[in-house]
Amino acid sequence: MTLPRRFLCVITDESLCPVELACMALEGGARMVQLRRKTASGLELYEWAVRIQELCRQREAIFIVNDRVDIALAMHADGVHLGQDDLPASAARSLLGPDAIIGVSVANTSEAEKARYDGANYIGAGHIFPTLSKEKTTPPLGTSPIRDIGKAAGLPVVAIGGIGADNVQEVMKAGASGIAVISAVSGANDPVAAARDLVDRIWL
Amino acid sequence: MIVSSGGEHLSHQGLAIQQAEALARSVPVIIQLREKGLEAGPLFSLCGRLASMIKSTGSMLMVNERFDIALASGAHGVHLPESSCPPDIVRKAAPGLIAGRSVHSRATAVKAEKSGIDYLLFGPVFPTPSKEAFGPPQGLDLLEEVCRSVSIPVFAVGGITPDRTFACIEKGAYGIAALGPFIDAGALPKMVNRFQSFISS
Repeated sequence: MTLPRRFLCVITDESLCPVELACMALEGGARMVQLRRKTASGLELYEWAVRIQELCRQREAIFIVNDRVDIALAMHADGVHLGQDDLPASAARSLLGPDAIIGVSVANTSEAEKARYDGANYIGAGHIFPTLSKEKTTPPLGTSPIRDIGKAAGLPVVAIGGIGADNVQEVMKAGASGIAVISAVSGANDPVAAARDLVDRIWL
Repeated sequence: MIVSSGGEHLSHQGLAIQQAEALARSVPVIIQLREKGLEAGPLFSLCGRLASMIKSTGSMLMVNERFDIALASGAHGVHLPESSCPPDIVRKAAPGLIAGRSVHSRATAVKAEKSGIDYLLFGPVFPTPSKEAFGPPQGLDLLEEVCRSVSIPVFAVGGITPDRTFACIEKGAYGIAALGPFIDAGALPKMVNRFQSFISS
């Protein structure tokens, strides 16, 4: 599994059934789906993950699980996405093997360098803009550090945090390979159209 | 004997490791790490330190649910709550780990044994505030029925005190699991010995 050159990653939230959201995101052209549900039980996550992985396979998209390397191992997900407080990428790499896609969230160049050293395949950089999806204690990075973070890691950067139709081009121009969104798709009246619009703008 | 951590005494890592070591060396116990307040990263570091400490003691370290952390940290195994990833799937994904499972009925006990689980926690046997979510206490007779229905070890859990331990063993329990009695870290070694005297009698 290799990362697409420019892509939209849609992350699930509490507002919709993750499988339904994944279905709509893929329909709209998302090339990566990330399952993230902090309060769900292991069984719920496993059952959603099995179904979303199948949907992603049908569309040749990438499926990754947030934080839960155990779930990814159990259902053979394409990969995982890890925050700074999650299992270290090096541990995830030795459990998941060389072919898994491992993303690591970073907020600066030193975390980016470490992520590469630990065996990450891509960097999640953020949060770029103010966002309500997660409680943040640090100010937004803005788009200017994206290129430096990418250079420090030598890896593709997926920008996250407050990204929507109005600022996606700014993010891509700043050096991102992709964008990851939560509410811009899940909170839209028409999630399929919202995803499609974001994908179009990524390629503008 | 299974000593379960409830996010109280083992989270304070410096002190916790010393206590866990004293505990692990006193008698053979299973320390079940159940730290819901910890993110996976800090839990992984804690497990790694506990796992390397416990190796030479004859006791065992089990991680609640996160078998990835158990594998990566060198713990002995994983304990699967009823709402976890299916046990047969976990078995396949992590064949080298010991796997325990919480069950609340005879049917789920039998099913867990079939899926390759190594031991069971059955309860709540007695009334306990920490297990109210699992309904009314199951009682000693049901414990006996479950113990007879499976050939893997069954640990009684829920409201277990030293005084109640012998009754559980008499009904066929292999051992007991408890959290509440062990929260007072100062009294931990004494409490372990009290339980142990009832188990071995």
